[in-house]
Amino acid sequence: MIRRSFALRAALGAAGLMLLASLLGAGWVWYAAEQELRAQRDLALAAEAEALIREYEILGVAGLAEQARAVARRQGPILVLLQTIDGIPIAGNFPGVRPPVLRGFATFPGGTADAGVRALGTMLPPGMNLILAAELAPISRAATRLAWAPAFAAGCAAIIALLLGYVAARRIERRIAGVGAAARAIMDGDLTRRLPQAGEGDEFDRLAGTLNTMLGRIEALMQAQRQVTDDIAHDLRTPLARLRQRIESALASARDPDGDAATLEESLTELDQVLATFAALLRIARAESGAPRAGFRPIDLSGLVGAVAEAYEAVAEEAGRTLSQDIAPGIGMDGDAALLRQAVANLLDNALVHGGPHVGLRLAPGPVIEVTDDGPGIPPEEREAVTRRFHRLDASRNTPGTGLGLALVAATAKLHGGRFEVLDGPGGRGATMRLTLGGR
Amino acid sequence: MRILVIEDDRATADYVAKGLTEEGFVVDVARTGKDGLFLALNEPFDVIVTDRMLPGPDGLSIVRAIRASNIGTPVLMLTALGDVDRKVEGLEAGADDYLAKPFAFAELRARVRALARRPAAPPAEQTALEVGDIRMDLLHRIATRRGRTLDLLPTEWRLLEFMMRNPGVVLTRTMLLEKVWDFSFDPTTNVVDVHVSRLRRKLEGPGEPPAIRTVRGAGYVLEPRAAPA
Repeated sequence: MIRRSFALRAALGAAGLMLLASLLGAGWVWYAAEQELRAQRDLALAAEAEALIREYEILGVAGLAEQARAVARRQGPILVLLQTIDGIPIAGNFPGVRPPVLRGFATFPGGTADAGVRALGTMLPPGMNLILAAELAPISRAATRLAWAPAFAAGCAAIIALLLGYVAARRIERRIAGVGAAARAIMDGDLTRRLPQAGEGDEFDRLAGTLNTMLGRIEALMQAQRQVTDDIAHDLRTPLARLRQRIESALASARDPDGDAATLEESLTELDQVLATFAALLRIARAESGAPRAGFRPIDLSGLVGAVAEAYEAVAEEAGRTLSQDIAPGIGMDGDAALLRQAVANLLDNALVHGGPHVGLRLAPGPVIEVTDDGPGIPPEEREAVTRRFHRLDASRNTPGTGLGLALVAATAKLHGGRFEVLDGPGGRGATMRLTLGGR
Repeated sequence: MRILVIEDDRATADYVAKGLTEEGFVVDVARTGKDGLFLALNEPFDVIVTDRMLPGPDGLSIVRAIRASNIGTPVLMLTALGDVDRKVEGLEAGADDYLAKPFAFAELRARVRALARRPAAPPAEQTALEVGDIRMDLLHRIATRRGRTLDLLPTEWRLLEFMMRNPGVVLTRTMLLEKVWDFSFDPTTNVVDVHVSRLRRKLEGPGEPPAIRTVRGAGYVLEPRAAPA
């Protein structure tokens, strides 16, 4: 588990570093405290020695010996020994140690726990040697006790870090296992599955959110792909089957130059229609895939819509209709000019083929493109369906068209971050086709 | 007129070569990008028709290579259905026209003819066009027929200008849609026919001979003959 969990490895590393730092810190504390305590002890020895020498100056050797005995009786931390310069003890004693005649500071081995003894010797005029000493063991003990504090604290912190690391590792492991399970389910074909989110809004949730958005996109693309396949199967099979029957029956009957030529011509026309449908489907699929977004360029939308309007104005007039225009100038956006041109053309085509005598085209800031007509309109329950591929109202089965025009408009709207809506016509008559583009 | 066809699909190559030969062109066929590029670089052709997807260097690379060698031969690029949206890429590489497979032979023939008779001078440097008794002053935007000024709408102007640049060549509806209106699709309504017939009405005054001829099942031709005065 340690090798496989980053959180646990990090916690372990942190704990190790903490322990190492605490050991170094403890060593330093021990050393510094011992130095300081030794210096204090030396000062204490010197002060005591000074006091005894003052006694000697006032009371002489006998008085000093009396004082030394008194100090020894007290059994305090300070030991005292008065001896002649020949090493004959006069008063006081050091248990277990026999120091030589001493002048100045010195450290002897021995004492409690073999920690050593610190001594200060002074020569007195009548051949006397006064030695004051103190055990070093208590200093070592105090320094050790002081050094333990940081080590203990760091040890606790290291254990807490390890525990936290373990808990974090378990939680991360659990959440990753959830993501892994979801990913495997998606790989097995369940494209509707999404990564679990704990709802805490943390980095995992944010990552899962981003990945879920991506999965949604992939699902939509796959669905679009499947839709295209289904559409092709559904709507191309019929004309292809018809084509096959015609050729087969022509082949089975006796050769007849005129009849054969007619059959071939009809077949070619039908085949061209199939190819046109096929091309339109591919175009819609490409728009729906979002791929053209990479080629978006700044477009003068007012100019583009105006040019299409000019092309259709004449068509409307020749058909005894009117096309009124209300095109706001100076509207631009980033987009795919070819698709936008075709979307506007499809809307006008649609209005001229299915609508009434008057068609209106409007471009307003937004940008919003609206094509209105005063024809029979589209019943509300059909409005969403007409933007789907091959969906045609019963009333228009016999008018020209592939049934793909509005599907391309809808795909173009979506590609440009906008939407396509079918609404009531002005004054409740006919239809309004509104293409809202997510212009910047 | 000599034409190089670079196409790896044998059936398509034979179909194109046979059709163009019947039209009176001399046709060389290369079946790989490598052979095609070699021919294009070493022999003179009037038009090169190349598939976009080829074994060896593909159509885009071939066009780039011959343009890099300062060979200005017009190139018509053939592409698979559905690739039309990527035609910008082909045109930017240096191709002059683009046609999606499968195509009607009439469409290919019209485009090859239009490319074959393209004038050497870049169109931008021309300031006036003259075909028969029709004149277009591109600088002052004045069009006349037999001295009579034609009152043309912007679309009609573009349509006439395109036809004047390709006199005597059959221009298909698809070509006109692409070059005049920038439409890379076939509208349900008869946009082209309506505009051509309006232009025709403006061109052909009472007693004047027809200037634009309809070729049934193919398209329109601007007659190059100078009409008798």
